[in-house]
Amino acid sequence: MDINMTFATQEIWTWWIAVYLYLGGLGAATLVVTFLTDMYLKPHRDLVLWGAFSGIVMLGLGSLMLFIHLLDHRAVLNVLNPLVLIRHPHAWIAWGTQFIIWMMWWGLFYALPYMIDSPQLNRIPLLRRLLKAGFIAKLSGRCCLRFHKTIGWLATINGIGVAVYTGLLLQSFPAVALWHNPGVPLLFTVSAFSTAMAFLLLILGIVIKREEDRPIRVFYERTDVMLIAAELVILFSFFHYMSAGSESAMHSAKLLWSDMGWLIGFIGFGLIVPFFLELRCVLRGSRGHAPVMLAAVLVLFGGYLLRHYFLAAGVYAFPW
Amino acid sequence: MTWRFPGLTRRAFLKAGGYGGAGLTLLKPISLLGKQHSDPPDGEEEISHSICNFCSSLCNLRVTSRTRNGVKRIVKLDGNPHSTLNRGKICARGQSGLRQTYDPDRLKTPLIRIEGSKRGEWAFRQATWEEAWQYIADRQQQAEIKPYEWTMVGGWTSCVFYMNWAVPFAMANEVPNIIASPMQHCVTTGHLGTDMVTGNFNIHDEVLPDYDNAKYILFIANNASIGAVSTCRMVRFATGRKRGAKVVALDPRCSETASKADEWLSIRPGTDLDFMLAMLKEMMEQGYYDALFLKRHSNMPFLIYKDEEGEWHLALDAEGRPQVVAEGSREVHVLPAYSNHNESDIDGQPVNAALTAPEGLEVDGKAVVTVFQAQLAELDGFTPEWAAKTTGIEAETIRRIAFEFGTTRPAIVDPGWHGARFQNMMMLRRVQAMIQMLTGGIDKKGGWIMSGEFHHKAARMIHAQRGEHEAGPPMVSLAGMPFAKFVIGAVSKGENFSHGRPGWAWAFSAQEAAAGREHVALPVMADTGLKESVEGKLEFNGEPYKTRAFLINAANPVRHYYPDQRWKDILGHQDVELVIAVDVLPADTTAWADVILPNSSYLERDEPTLYGNGVNHDLAVTTRYAAIDPLYDTEEITDILLRMTRIISGNEAKFLEWVEKLTGLSAAAVEERYAKKREEMEHGAFAAACREVSFAETARRLHTTPEAIDSELRVKGVMMEEEREHILAHAGMPWKLPLPSESGRVEFFSPLFHMLRSGGAKQPNFSPLATRVVAECRPGTPMDKPLQTDEFYFTYGKTPTVSYASTNSNNPVLAAINKFREPIYAGVWIHPDRAEPLGIQTGDSLKLTNTATGQSTGGTAYITRMVRRDTLFIYSSFGSENKALTRAYGIGTATSKLIPYRVEPVVAGFRSQEFTLKVSKTGGAA
Amino acid sequence: MTRYAMVIDLNTCVGCNACMAACAMENQTPVWKNEWRTYVHDQEIGTGEDVLRRFFPRLCNHCDNPPCLSVCPTGATYKLDNGIVKVDEDLCMGCRACAMACPYDARMEVTWDDVEKGKAFYGSDYRRERPSMDKCTFCDHRVEKGQKPACVETCVGSARMFGDLHDPNDPVAQLVASGVARPLLPHLGTKPNIYYIGDVKRRG
Ligand SMILES: Nc1nc2c(c(=O)[nH]1)N[C@H]1C(S)=C(S)[C@@H](COP(=O)(O)OP(=O)(O)OC[C@H]3O[C@@H](n4cnc5c(=O)[nH]c(N)nc54)[C@H](O)[C@@H]3O)O[C@H]1N2
Ligand SMILES: Nc1nc2c(c(=O)[nH]1)N[C@H]1C(S)=C(S)[C@@H](COP(=O)(O)OP(=O)(O)OC[C@H]3O[C@@H](n4cnc5c(=O)[nH]c(N)nc54)[C@H](O)[C@@H]3O)O[C@H]1N2
Ligand code: SF4
Ligand code: SF4
Ligand code: SF4
Ligand code: SF4
Ligand code: SF4
Ligand SMILES: [Mo]
Repeated sequence: MDINMTFATQEIWTWWIAVYLYLGGLGAATLVVTFLTDMYLKPHRDLVLWGAFSGIVMLGLGSLMLFIHLLDHRAVLNVLNPLVLIRHPHAWIAWGTQFIIWMMWWGLFYALPYMIDSPQLNRIPLLRRLLKAGFIAKLSGRCCLRFHKTIGWLATINGIGVAVYTGLLLQSFPAVALWHNPGVPLLFTVSAFSTAMAFLLLILGIVIKREEDRPIRVFYERTDVMLIAAELVILFSFFHYMSAGSESAMHSAKLLWSDMGWLIGFIGFGLIVPFFLELRCVLRGSRGHAPVMLAAVLVLFGGYLLRHYFLAAGVYAFPW
Repeated sequence: MTWRFPGLTRRAFLKAGGYGGAGLTLLKPISLLGKQHSDPPDGEEEISHSICNFCSSLCNLRVTSRTRNGVKRIVKLDGNPHSTLNRGKICARGQSGLRQTYDPDRLKTPLIRIEGSKRGEWAFRQATWEEAWQYIADRQQQAEIKPYEWTMVGGWTSCVFYMNWAVPFAMANEVPNIIASPMQHCVTTGHLGTDMVTGNFNIHDEVLPDYDNAKYILFIANNASIGAVSTCRMVRFATGRKRGAKVVALDPRCSETASKADEWLSIRPGTDLDFMLAMLKEMMEQGYYDALFLKRHSNMPFLIYKDEEGEWHLALDAEGRPQVVAEGSREVHVLPAYSNHNESDIDGQPVNAALTAPEGLEVDGKAVVTVFQAQLAELDGFTPEWAAKTTGIEAETIRRIAFEFGTTRPAIVDPGWHGARFQNMMMLRRVQAMIQMLTGGIDKKGGWIMSGEFHHKAARMIHAQRGEHEAGPPMVSLAGMPFAKFVIGAVSKGENFSHGRPGWAWAFSAQEAAAGREHVALPVMADTGLKESVEGKLEFNGEPYKTRAFLINAANPVRHYYPDQRWKDILGHQDVELVIAVDVLPADTTAWADVILPNSSYLERDEPTLYGNGVNHDLAVTTRYAAIDPLYDTEEITDILLRMTRIISGNEAKFLEWVEKLTGLSAAAVEERYAKKREEMEHGAFAAACREVSFAETARRLHTTPEAIDSELRVKGVMMEEEREHILAHAGMPWKLPLPSESGRVEFFSPLFHMLRSGGAKQPNFSPLATRVVAECRPGTPMDKPLQTDEFYFTYGKTPTVSYASTNSNNPVLAAINKFREPIYAGVWIHPDRAEPLGIQTGDSLKLTNTATGQSTGGTAYITRMVRRDTLFIYSSFGSENKALTRAYGIGTATSKLIPYRVEPVVAGFRSQEFTLKVSKTGGAA
Repeated sequence: MTRYAMVIDLNTCVGCNACMAACAMENQTPVWKNEWRTYVHDQEIGTGEDVLRRFFPRLCNHCDNPPCLSVCPTGATYKLDNGIVKVDEDLCMGCRACAMACPYDARMEVTWDDVEKGKAFYGSDYRRERPSMDKCTFCDHRVEKGQKPACVETCVGSARMFGDLHDPNDPVAQLVASGVARPLLPHLGTKPNIYYIGDVKRRG
C-alpha cells in the first residue's frame, strides 16, 4: 500500500515545557557545580549558598511550569510517590520528578550548615529564629556535617540525573527523529552544565565579587569554553545526522537550519560569540570581566533557545 | 534503558505493587479521592426500535436508552441487526440522529408571530396549543379562506410516513393543492423516466439494485444515493465491490461514490444522455442484449408506424391491442393488451415475436416496423464519436463500456435518484432503464429488483384485476403507474370537489396552454403556478384562483426549492393571510410562518400505523416505537391534521371516512379508540388510535394478533412476512406477473408520452422513444463550446453528513464533522488549472454569479483536481439563514441563491444546473 | 490468548464518517471542540490527470509496543492482556507525554472545561468525572459483551473489520497473515495493530 505523509510539528509541549527543561537542567547543574567546587576545589560558603538557593528556586520554578500545564493537578500525587520508580521505571518523567525532589532535599541539607553560620541569613529575623532552633542544629551537626561529602555526592548524582533526564525525556518520543537519538541527552547535559558555568560566573562576577575566587572563575571559564566547543561539535554532527536519512529528521533540519532565531540567535549569539569572548579571556587573561559577563548572559539565553527550538522543530510524519 | 519495559500489562503492574507492598496502599488514598476505577454502574438499559428520519433509505434503527440518576435518556442509535434492509448499519446522519431530539435549538412550544412583525424576521412569542389553534381559527374565519385557497406543502417525510392522512385530509377538506418536496427534485423528474420503462411509481422509488451479486456496476450521476450515502444501497454495493464487481462512475467530479469506482469518467455536465444514447445504439447494433427477454417481455417487437407528420404510433388492432410479426415470417399476431409476455396471441396461439419486421411489412395498409427498428432509426447518428464531442469522453471508452456492460452478466446501471439538474434528466433515466432492460436484468439476481412491498401491492392489484378478489382501497392496493394516475386524477379534476376546482397547478397549466405559452403537462404536486396564484395572476373559469393560506409540514422550500427569493416573496406576500409551519427545528422556512407548530421528534413518536420496509427486497412490516416521552410540548402530525380539519371544514368525520376510503383504516374503529385515547393523553391521541386500529387490521391480514405483532416488533423492530426468493418465485416481474406499465411489458415505446404528444406536446422531452434532449446551459450554445476564463458549468450534490439542505446541518455531531471537513464540504470546488489564472487559492472568498439571471452569492474556494476544469462543484447542503439554527447558520453556499426558477415541460422538474456561473475573487484566505 | 486488531479496507471506505459519529456517541467524546478518537482523512492523491480521492480512517493502533505507555509516569496508560491500550482517567495527570510519544496522533486532551461541557451535552448519562488524556479503547466495554466496536458495527462500507489475530480462523487474522493488510509506520517498532488494505491498485 502506498502511504502518503503529512509532516507536522506539535503544539502539545510548547514554551512552558521548554522553560521546564531549561530551568531543570540549569538549576540541577548549578547545584552540582557549586557543591563539587566546594568539595574539591575550594570550600566556599557563599558560592554554595547562592548555588543551592538559585538552583532550588530554578528547579522549583521549572517544575511549577510543568505542574500548571497538567490537566489534572490532583493526580500529580501519583508521580510524587517514590514507588513510581518501581512501577514505571521506563517513564523518564517519573525519574525526573524524583531526581528533582531529592536533589532539592540533598541540596538543602548540604547547604544547611553554611546557612546556620551565614551572617547574612541570620540577619533575617524569622529565618534566624528557625536556624537557631535546636532540631535544626542537631540535624545540621549530626547529619549534614557528619555526612557532608556523602550528601554532596547524593545531590550531585541527582543533579546529573536531572540534567540527563531533560534530554532522555525528549529521546523517548520515537516518532520524531530529532528527539529520538542518543545525541539529545548528551547535548542537553552539556548545555545544562555550560549554562550553569555561565550562571555561576555571573554570581561570582556580580554578587560575590572576591579577588581570591579568580582561580574558580578561570576554571569555570575554561570548562565553559570546552563545554561550548563540545556543544558545537555535537550540533555539527546533528546537522549531518539530520540532513539525510529519515524524512522526519530532514524536515526538522529544514526548519532549524533555515531559521534565523536558531542560526543567529542560538548558534551565533548563544554559542559562537560567547565561545570567542571566553576563549579570548582564557588565552589572553581577562582585562576586567565585562566580556565574560556578556558571554555568560549570552550562553544563558542561548541555553533557553536550544530547548525552545528543539521542541518547536520536532517533526511528526502522519500517514494517510 | 530501552523505552520498552517488558510485561507492562495491568496485571504486571499489580504484581509490581505487590512486592513493593506499600505501593498499592500508598496509591489507594489518591484514587479514593475520586470514584473507584470501574466505570459507574451502567444504569438501566432499554432497547427499542424505530426508523431513521434523515433520508429515504428509511433504515431500521435499534435505539438504546439508559436510565441513570432517575433520568431516561436515548444514548445510542444503531442499525437494527434484524433488518435485512440496512443490515445493522447506519450512516453518520443516522448515528447522530438522537442529537436532533436533544438539540437545544429545537421548537419546544407553539410559536406565534409577534403582532406588527413581518414574516421572515423571526419574531415569535411562545404560545400554548390552544392559543395557537385559536389564532389559526380566527385567521381562517376573519379572512374567510376557502378550501381551495389553502395549499399544503409536504416534505418527503410527510409523503412517506403520513400520505395516508395527508391525501385524505386534502380530499375531506377539498384542498386540491399539495406540493410535495421530492417531486420536482427526484420522484417525478428522475424516477418517472425510469418508471416509463418499468411501470413503477412510488415515493422515493422501489427499485433496489442487487449490487451484492452484480459483476458490473455503472453509476450515472449517483452519489448520495449510494456512497454518500443511502445505507441500504451502500451496504450492498460494498459487498459487490468486495466480491470483485467492476465499477464505473460518470460524474464531473470525484464523488465519494466515484472514488470507489475502478474507473471515474469525468463527464461534462448535462451530457450524460449523449453518452447513454451512444451506448444504447452501440448495444443494439452490436447485439449486446438479451434477445429472448426483449421478444418475450418487452414491447420491442410491437409493430409501429409513422404518420404523415412523422409521429410514431403503435399499430394496434380495432380493440387497441398490440400486434407483432412472427420471427422468420410475415404473419402478424394480435397480443393481449395487458400481459407480462408476448408468447401467445389472443387466440392462445404460441408466438415467437420478431425484433425486426421483414422489409415492406404492412398492417392495415400502413408500413410497419418493430419498436426495436424504430428505436434504432431514432438513434441514427448518435455514435460514440458523436457523443465523444459533447461528453468529453473518448469514443473508444464509450464503445468499451458498452461492450463490457452489454457482455458482462449480471450488470447494473443504477436507476439514478435526484432527478432535477437538466431538462434531459428524465430522458437520461429512461435510457438508463432501457439499457438495463436490454440485459434482461430486472427482478433477477444481480439486476434491478423491486421492493417486497411493491411486489406485494402489484400482485394484489393484478389479482384484483383478474377478479380474484376485490380491489381494496386505492392507496394500499395500487402500485406503480396506476397509483400515479390515481393521485393525478384526484387533484387534477375539478369534479372531485364541490367547489369544482382542480389544483392551481393544473389550472395554471390549462391557462398557459390556452394562451399558447410553454406549460407543464403533468404538474404532479409541483409548484408551477403557485406564485401566479398568490399574486392573483391565475384565473379559473374567469374567476381569480388565489392562494391565501399555507400548511407546511416537514418541508423547507426556502432552502429546497428554487430560488429562495421566490418562496420568500410567496410566503411574504401581503395577500397571504396565514402560513402555518410544522417542524422540529427553526428551519429557514419556519421564519416565514405566522404560526409554528412543534412536532415531536421521530424518536419520541409511536407512529400512527405500520409501514412496509422501504425498498427492501424482503417483504416486512415495521414501525416506530417512541424511545422516550416527548421532551417538550409537541404534537403529532395526524392530530394536527385532524385539528386543522375542524378549523378548515369542521368535518372531522369526513376526514376519517376519506382515510377509510383511501387506506382502509376503519373510521368507526378509529373513532371509538380515539374517544378513549383522548381521555388518556393530551397529545397524539388520534395517532395512538390509528396505530391500534392499524395493528388490529394488519393482524387480521397476517392471521395473527396485534399483541403478537407488537411483541415481535418490540424484540426485533421488523417483522418478516416473505423473503425475496419466494416473492420473486411467484411475483417476479415481468417473469411471473405483468409490470404495472400500460401493457404489462417493459416499455421502450412509452404509451404515456405517446398520449401527451398526441395531446400536442411536441418537444423532444415528450418523445415516446429514446431521443436526444439537450441541456441548455448557454441558450443557443452547444455544451462543448469553450467557456469564458471565469465561466463554469455548475454542479451540486449532497453531503454524506447532511440531509438535503436540512436542519440536521445543525446537529452538533454532524456540525462538528462538517467543521472537520470544512474546506471540502463547505467549499466551492475549482480545478487548479482554472483557479490559477483567476488568482484563486483555497480559502479565498468568492463571488458566484449566474450568467443568465444575475443571481449571485458568496462562497469559499476549494482548489482540487477532483473536479472537471470546466465545472464548479458545491455540496448542496449549506447556507442556512436562520440565526436560530445556531450551528448551521452562515456556513457554506446556498444553492437556492444561484438556481433560477426554470422547469422542464413534462413535470416541472427543476433545471437546477442549466446555466453557467461567473466566478470572481472577493477576498484572500482567512 | 486474544490479540485484538482491526483491518481497514480502503477499497470500500466511502468517507461517510459514520464511524466518527458512532464513536462520538458511544464514547461521549468532546465533539464540541471537533476532536475525535477516530477520524477519516479525505485526501487527493495521484499525479497529473491520474487523481484518486482516498478516504483514510485513523484511530489508536493499540500498539504491541506502545511508546505512549512506556513514557507514562503515572501508569494511567496501561495495556490489557488482549492488547487493548487504555487510559485510566483517575491516574492520568495530563502531562501529555503520551501524546508526544504517539506516532499516530491518536490521543486528545479532555480538560476540566470539557468535563463541564460534557455534563451539559451528554446529560445524566455522562460517565466521565475528571479530565485526562483520551483515546480509542477499541470499545472494550462492547467487546467484553461480545459486540463489535461501535465504528465497526456501523461501517456502511464494511471497510472496518475487527478480530483476533491469535485466532487462525478469524478473517481479520487471515487478511493480516496473507500480507494484503499492512500496518502504518512499522519501522518505528511500535508493532501497531491497525492494518490497511491499499486502494491504489484499483486504478485504471
Ligand atoms: N439545497 C438543496 N435543496 C434540495 C436538495 C439538496 O440536496 N439541496 N435535495 C432535493 C431533494 S432530492 C429532495 S428529496 C428534497 C427534500 O426536501 P424536504 O422534503 O424539504 O427535506 P427535509 O429536509 O427532510 O424536510 C424539511 C424539513 O423537515 C424538518 N423535519 C425533520 N424532521 C422532522 C420531523 O420529525 N417532523 C417534522 N414535522 N419536520 C421534520 C426539517 O427540520 C426540515 O426543515 O430537497 C430537494 N432540495
Ligand atoms: N447524505 C445524504 N444522502 C441522501 C440524501 C441526503 O439528503 N443526504 N437524500 C436522499 C434522496 S431524497 C435522494 S433524491 C438521493 C440523491 O442521491 P443522488 O442522486 O446520488 O444525488 P446527489 O448525491 O445530489 O448527486 C449525485 C452526483 O451527481 C453529480 N452530478 C451533478 N451533475 C452531474 C451531471 O451532469 N452528470 C453526472 N454524471 N453527474 C452529475 C454530483 O457531482 C454528485 O456527485 O440521496 C438520498 N441520500
Ligand atoms: S441512510 Fe443514513 S440517513 Fe438515510 S435512513 Fe439510513 S441512516 Fe438514516
Ligand atoms: S464508516 Fe466505514 S466507510 Fe464510513 S468513513 Fe468510516 S470507515 Fe469509511
Ligand atoms: S497508537 Fe499511539 S496511543 Fe495508540 S497505542 Fe500506539 S502509541 Fe499508544
Ligand atoms: S497524560 Fe496521562 S496518560 Fe499521558 S502520559 Fe501523562 S499521565 Fe500518562
Ligand atoms: S473502536 Fe471504539 S473507541 Fe475506537 S474508534 Fe472505534 S468506536 Fe471509537
Ligand atoms: Mo430526493
